[in-house]
Amino acid sequence: MSDEKEMVGYRQQPGKLPFARPGSGGKNQFSQLRDDELIPESQGGKKKQPWGDHRHDELVTSSAIGKRTPLYDAKWKVTGQAKYGDDIRLSNELIGKILRSPHHFARIKSIDTSAAESLEGVVAIATGADATAKFGVLPVTKDEHALAVNLVRHMGDLVACVAAEDEATALEALKLIEVDYEILDSNNDMAKGLEDSENPIHDRGKYHIGESNIQKRVFQEFGEVTNMEQKAVASHKANWHFQGVNHGFTEPHAVAAHWDPRGRLTIYTPQQVPHYLHRSLADVLEIPMHQINVYRTFVGGGFGGKSDPFPHEMCAAILARKSGRPVRITFDREEVFWINRGRHPSKIEMNLHADSQGRLCGVATDALIDGGSFASFGHVTTYYNGVLHTAPYEIGGFHYTGARVWTNKPASGAMRGHGAVNSRCAVEVGLDDLSEQLAVDPMTFRLANLLPPLSATITGFRITSTGMRECLEKVRAASGWDEKFRKLPLGHGIGVGCGFFISGSGLPIHWDPNKFPHATVHLKIDMDGGVTVHTGAAEIGQGSDTVVAQSVAEVLGLPLDMIRIRSRESDTSPVDLGSYSSRVTFMNANAAISAAMEIREELIEATTEITGADKEKLVIGDRRIYDKTDPAVGVSYLEALHKAQEERGALVASGAYRTPPMGRAHKGAAAGLAPAYSFSAYVAEVKVDVETGETKVLNVWAAHDCGKALNPLSVEGQIIGSCHMGLGQVLSEEMVYGRTGNLMNANLLEYKIPTVHEMPNVFPIIVESNDPEGPFGAKEAGEGPLLPILPSVCNAVYDAIGLRVNELPITQDRMHQNIEKLCKEQGVSDPLELTSPSIEYSQLQEILAKRAEEHEKRDKERRNSENVEPYHNGALFGYEATIPPEEQSNEWEVSVTPSQEYLENPRLAGSAWKHVERRHRSDA
Amino acid sequence: MTKPGHIPMLPQADKIGWSASVNGKSVSKSVESNAILLDVLRDYVGTLGVKRGCDMGTCGCCAVLINGEPRLSCLTLAQEVNDTDITTVEGLADGTHLAPIQETFAIYGGSQCGFCTPGFLVVAEALLRSNQNPTKDEIKTAIEGNLCRCTGYQPIVDSILAASEILSSNEGTIDSTQHQSDPHPGFIEEDN
Ligand code: FES
Ligand code: FES
Repeated sequence: MSDEKEMVGYRQQPGKLPFARPGSGGKNQFSQLRDDELIPESQGGKKKQPWGDHRHDELVTSSAIGKRTPLYDAKWKVTGQAKYGDDIRLSNELIGKILRSPHHFARIKSIDTSAAESLEGVVAIATGADATAKFGVLPVTKDEHALAVNLVRHMGDLVACVAAEDEATALEALKLIEVDYEILDSNNDMAKGLEDSENPIHDRGKYHIGESNIQKRVFQEFGEVTNMEQKAVASHKANWHFQGVNHGFTEPHAVAAHWDPRGRLTIYTPQQVPHYLHRSLADVLEIPMHQINVYRTFVGGGFGGKSDPFPHEMCAAILARKSGRPVRITFDREEVFWINRGRHPSKIEMNLHADSQGRLCGVATDALIDGGSFASFGHVTTYYNGVLHTAPYEIGGFHYTGARVWTNKPASGAMRGHGAVNSRCAVEVGLDDLSEQLAVDPMTFRLANLLPPLSATITGFRITSTGMRECLEKVRAASGWDEKFRKLPLGHGIGVGCGFFISGSGLPIHWDPNKFPHATVHLKIDMDGGVTVHTGAAEIGQGSDTVVAQSVAEVLGLPLDMIRIRSRESDTSPVDLGSYSSRVTFMNANAAISAAMEIREELIEATTEITGADKEKLVIGDRRIYDKTDPAVGVSYLEALHKAQEERGALVASGAYRTPPMGRAHKGAAAGLAPAYSFSAYVAEVKVDVETGETKVLNVWAAHDCGKALNPLSVEGQIIGSCHMGLGQVLSEEMVYGRTGNLMNANLLEYKIPTVHEMPNVFPIIVESNDPEGPFGAKEAGEGPLLPILPSVCNAVYDAIGLRVNELPITQDRMHQNIEKLCKEQGVSDPLELTSPSIEYSQLQEILAKRAEEHEKRDKERRNSENVEPYHNGALFGYEATIPPEEQSNEWEVSVTPSQEYLENPRLAGSAWKHVERRHRSDA
Repeated sequence: MTKPGHIPMLPQADKIGWSASVNGKSVSKSVESNAILLDVLRDYVGTLGVKRGCDMGTCGCCAVLINGEPRLSCLTLAQEVNDTDITTVEGLADGTHLAPIQETFAIYGGSQCGFCTPGFLVVAEALLRSNQNPTKDEIKTAIEGNLCRCTGYQPIVDSILAASEILSSNEGTIDSTQHQSDPHPGFIEEDN
């Protein structure tokens, strides 16, 4: 800006503006100057930045970020105006109902629908023959049909569907459909799924693994794996059994489908991942994607359970097409359990080894997971059961074998904490046992083995920021750990557990990450000044709309009431991968920021034009853009906007986010890869009634590192909610299958979700490690907080009565049996005579405490220095930190296929590798 | 046509006249004599704010107030509540002013996915009508029949406590249509 140019703007005196801008409302509402307390030090504000500067610092306007913000759509919900799946009522609609298999496994010989068709009021009927194309959430494992083609694979599998004028008629029609089945031998035992079978549940052609029911197998070895036992002075081994659990969201699935007169399909559904549904619908209906509009209704809870494209969604579309009328299908609660996709029932063998210096010299895990009848997300789950416990600790050797098998049960899938929850529980309980054996404090033991910020894990994940240490320290202080641990009386105990989770899956399942972005956000601002945000991020109650709105508001210096979100329809929103893998805040908020930055640039440009002020000096405050050295010089937001719009009308901008290049090259290296990771540490305090086996959790101190809490209200809500869900799994929830594989408790009476009375006091503690790449430093908070609750309760139970549980949930009857066994082992007749564990620290304690202290210093330095040297897992074991250890020594293994030697004596899931893929067989 | 020997699953029920005052508005409908209140409210009356989570009395999403008393509409025959006063979540707000309990659920995070919210709201409303200053334990007892999978209940209890404070302070809630932020702040009309 040249000096000669006259200042055409004005020195604005509050309250004295020449005229009201069109659409301003003309009301006397002054704007606030920027709040120094919220502006980072690096920007001349007063906000302390203990974790250093952030790349988004200059975008901070103190408008929205970091404030407790009610959800964007909360008022729809509290007034009953929120429309969920079953609330979509289209005129002239038909009601769809689904005929389900009464058998676990059977071949459909014939289906006769004639009687049903002639029932008055029945308008359309569909069977497997109407849509034979396969679909599935992962492109590599498409194994589902809209309706069973040839085989039914579990009780409740979809066989046929009917659309009728009303529900009673549709139900009646189902009874009139005659299906002739040939019943096949079913299997509900996951271990048996590893063996060859005459009738495998699926046939994957040349990729089929032997003749077995193995859907996916993983073998991984990293580090010094050959002699972990020999190096160890303490070893832990446990065989865990985790029952399957269901998401238990309150809204049952429901869908409405409608083909408009132009021949386009609109599908209304509570989906977490509308885009995958979009793709699958195109496959199944054999029409191009542009002919489909996926409309996401309000979602009454997802937790992973609404993230697959579902067969009933296909059914609604097919019935609507056949009948030419809108069709609505709503599940009852039992059907929700039939479609399931909940957490896998798992058998996990966990081996941990610690050496004389209290380092974790070996982790060897074997996880067999029960996938039920379809692949769903299982491919990924099989990896996650291993790779997601390679941090936050530095590990000398990691050995993982995992297998997922098909059984004739409702399919397992993704559920909050996807694939990480069960094995994390096993690891953290193992660490407790190791510290017991080493006679050290489990807190100190953990603190002395943490990976630093800006490091690489043993499998090559990139840890950018970590607040693990702070989490542990905060819960230690808040819970009064040092006064309580091993000091509480019998039946009263305290335990710690940690968590580590991805903040957005680094691999967009459907495309090369270099090809399209992970997330895209569009902004449109017209003369009225309100900002319309188009995003495909699926609001499922977690607050994604809110976080995106906050990000835009923050960058543009606007109050939240000026931002409106359009995130429902695929017709209007840019493609987004949806709400899974805790990716929304990280990816969508980043995309929203970059879109808003474009607009911001234009507003500042326009302000310069009006006022002649130096662009560098202009800052955005609350609805005003002004010179920071002379705040009286500036213009209102609307003036700048209208100036910027002079040439071209409404401002539009598009922002995108993609992950940086990362990860290693071995097979499966992309599984578990994320642009950032969250960390958490919980301390739980429990009471166990040794006589009845009743376990009550009293308090939970829950620290979670979410990078930066964009909306602390939501973060706390997620932490407490995660505690609730995790407590359900540890205390009471399980899908009970009978001897022949019948699901015995497909209802909320017998599937026991904790009520308000079972909830402990949860004290959420937010730790902000300020992730360098996260939006304003943020990472995820939706799933990670679930992980630590399970092990911290288990460890607290040990502290209370000296009992190591290895089967969840610890229902009263299970606990009672466990306690009886314990009494026998200890030779006491009265459980009240059991002794509560105590501890006397060994010399190692001091060594560890010292190391923890040194590491703390190391971490601080790494965080705050400009040029940080690389740090690879292995440095603690004497390797040069800056080079990947496999490049330093042959001892450091990197292998993803088992050796012949291993196959001679494999562990349970590892035995999956005894089979040869059909394509590699000599007889193939 | 039916199969020989086929017995229809749902016996055809006679239609009966049903009337009630729903959220202060009197409605009368002709419904099946065996119709369930939840179905009548959702399908005939159109108060879709009443939610169906389980259909068997286990989730509390379908709770409504019958003459001020909370009741699970999925376990209630429509006939039973003929000529009663029914309040659903839609009837809590006063015009453009939310009820305090609605406002606090929004502000304190008592509602995440929101599907359980209508049930919690009417139950809490009934509690607050009979007891303006409930203790935490009284609140917990009042909501023990409602499941929430998202919030972990703690924020719900906080919301109800906060609502009781608003009630005792007699402050009321704001008008939701009130003037929102001015994009051109600072302007004052000449004659002001
Ligand atoms: S629907 Fe009535 S209690 Fe669940
Ligand atoms: S807010 Fe989702 S179930 Fe309560």
